Amino acid sequence: MIPAVSRRSILLGTAAASVSSILPAAGASEGFSFGLTPLFLDNDIELLAMVERYLTKRLERPIALIKRRTYHEISAMLLSGQLDAAWICDDPYVQYQDKLALLAVPLYRRKPLYQTYVIVNDSSTAQSFDDIRGTVHAFSDPDSTSGYLVTRWMLALRQTTPARFFRDSFFTYGHRNVIRAVGAGLAQSGSIDGYVWEVMTEREPELVRRTRIVFKSEWLGFPPIVAPMVIREMPAVKALAAALLDMPTDPLGQKILSVLALDGFTTGTPDMYESTKEKWLVVKAQV
Amino acid sequence: MSRFPRLPAWPLTLKVPLLVAALMIAVAVMISQIVLSRLVKDQETNLTLLANAYLDGLSAAVLPAVIRGDVWETFDALDRARGQYSGVKARYAIVELPNGSVLAASDPANFPIHSAVPTELRSKFLKEDGLVINDEVGRAWLTRGLRTEGFSVGRILTEIDIAGLLRVRSQVVLTLILANGGLALAFSLIGYFAVKYMLQPLGVLAGYVERAREGRVEPIPERYRKKVASEFGQLFDRFNAMARAVNDRETLASHLAEQEKYAMLGRLASGMAHEVNNPLGGMMNAIDTLQSHSEDPEVLSKSLDFLKRGLAGIRNVVRAALVTYKGGSDTSLLTPTDLDDLPFLVQHETGVRRLRLNWRNHVTEPLAIDGPTVRQITLNLLLNACAASPFGGEIAVDASSTDGALRIAVSDEGPGLPDDVAALLSSAGQIAAPSRESKGLGLWTTGNLIQRLNGVAAIERSDAGTRIVVTLPISGEGARHAA
Repeated sequence: MIPAVSRRSILLGTAAASVSSILPAAGASEGFSFGLTPLFLDNDIELLAMVERYLTKRLERPIALIKRRTYHEISAMLLSGQLDAAWICDDPYVQYQDKLALLAVPLYRRKPLYQTYVIVNDSSTAQSFDDIRGTVHAFSDPDSTSGYLVTRWMLALRQTTPARFFRDSFFTYGHRNVIRAVGAGLAQSGSIDGYVWEVMTEREPELVRRTRIVFKSEWLGFPPIVAPMVIREMPAVKALAAALLDMPTDPLGQKILSVLALDGFTTGTPDMYESTKEKWLVVKAQV
Repeated sequence: MSRFPRLPAWPLTLKVPLLVAALMIAVAVMISQIVLSRLVKDQETNLTLLANAYLDGLSAAVLPAVIRGDVWETFDALDRARGQYSGVKARYAIVELPNGSVLAASDPANFPIHSAVPTELRSKFLKEDGLVINDEVGRAWLTRGLRTEGFSVGRILTEIDIAGLLRVRSQVVLTLILANGGLALAFSLIGYFAVKYMLQPLGVLAGYVERAREGRVEPIPERYRKKVASEFGQLFDRFNAMARAVNDRETLASHLAEQEKYAMLGRLASGMAHEVNNPLGGMMNAIDTLQSHSEDPEVLSKSLDFLKRGLAGIRNVVRAALVTYKGGSDTSLLTPTDLDDLPFLVQHETGVRRLRLNWRNHVTEPLAIDGPTVRQITLNLLLNACAASPFGGEIAVDASSTDGALRIAVSDEGPGLPDDVAALLSSAGQIAAPSRESKGLGLWTTGNLIQRLNGVAAIERSDAGTRIVVTLPISGEGARHAA
């Protein structure tokens, strides 16, 4: 067994390293590390405990739930072999589609799809995407499709950039934070995951009520649960996929889904993310 | 315009509680000032400590974000800090960059990012780290610089609502006012009733002193003596001793006055005897002459005239003495004759001293006044004038009635009355009788008689002598009836 520290020292910052250099975590120990990107889960300790309990039972091994502040950290850890699997955004997935295996896709309102919302402060007079020109804009995360890529793509279509289109912009590293920033007036507009906004409408109506949607994107593939391609056939990884797909049939799984406001998981296919990939390519071409 | 009564004129039962209340209020004000001053100091110290703790936490939280210029992280730290410091009620917190623009504020609607901090607002904050308190508006403004590696990367400006502290201060003031006011009132009432209770014996004493002033000198009964404290007991004892002494003296004075009356009577009787005796010698000679020369008509006529004159003189003297000392005249009336008799009674005194009596009685009709007493008063003054006049001097008596009053003026050429003797006449009822050895018993008696008739006596002194004027009121109804 190679110590984790030495692995990290070798692999950090080598997301694009060759497959042969990645040592699968699940194969090296009995534990299983599962990364989570900050959706609206920031403070939901109880949810994390339930997920851990559920996966530990189903995978029959200790589960380590790994959370990081940014999407990039989770993506890097996943690609460098420090995580066995992760729930990542569709943007990093399309960027590293050849290195990541799709395990499951959440079903939101019975579909594996979600939208990007552009929101404004309730006091704003903006009615459309173009009305937010000149505002201070709150993005969620540079690796978030809904929290950055779609808006960035919209601007690319207009032959402009955030620096030119907005008076100012900043990242909040969390969809919930975008709602807070826009609601408080720190930013006048923001890019956010439509699924998070809808769920928070029920969970924190006072916060969400101070924001208003001015733009909804097309339906996009829901952020997937992925594993490094090299370990996709490992029993633990397969067990994770099965556990996720079986969640609606398990009492604890049902509770988790209830908290997440999801209907369940489906296997999903890479072509579900073609639209996301196109947008990423457009933006990448502009940069 | 009514004048505020002077404090010394107020009763002791009012003055003492008022004094207690005033002292209590003074002490209360002083203590309240000390408490409030201490409270204000403590509050400011606590506020400074809390504010520093608040800023320590806040600056530690925002500093990394400020160094990076991270708007969201800065806002997030400011936003999360709200409500986490229960002792500090921050209204807003601003992170100001060195160029004066807002990096982020807890209230971004009022302080948008990258906007300049309003000049008016900035002037409320200190330029260096510190706290500015304004009690009038219930606000405090805190400044804390953000430094890293010796460089300033910005500062935190926070406005704190200190209305809660001021409310506590107001409550303390109210509590102090109520407590101290209540205590002052309670002590005043206790003082009032306590002093009133303690001064009850003084009221009893004052009552008996007042009775003494009215002429009834009575000792304080023993039942009061038993109830009072030793100091008042001693006072009561002394008063009673004084009352007994006064009563004894009054009794003695009465005896003395009576004796004086008899002494005067003796002198008058002696004078009268002399006056009777004087014509008797001549009359006896006249009788002898008649016996020897009864045949001579001229001698007979002269002797009988002489006898008649002598007997008339004796009759006048006797009649005056009878009226004066045997009574018999009406006590509700004074006739002109009642006064005109008096020269006969002092005839001996004037004769012995070769005094000239200038007698002027302008009373022409009966007056409604106690005649015998007026006679006694006038006679006493006349005798006093005789005694005081130098040999061969003149005495003038002037009696008249005007405006419902009888006025009797007796003047002599004597050296005048000493003040203490004069006081016996004018204030007889209010001062004790003189001892027998001292002079003035007759005047003291006269003074009492004048007072009995509600009259007044005035003493006028001049180089020519002394003049005593007695004015006695006349009952008009009586006078008309008498007339």
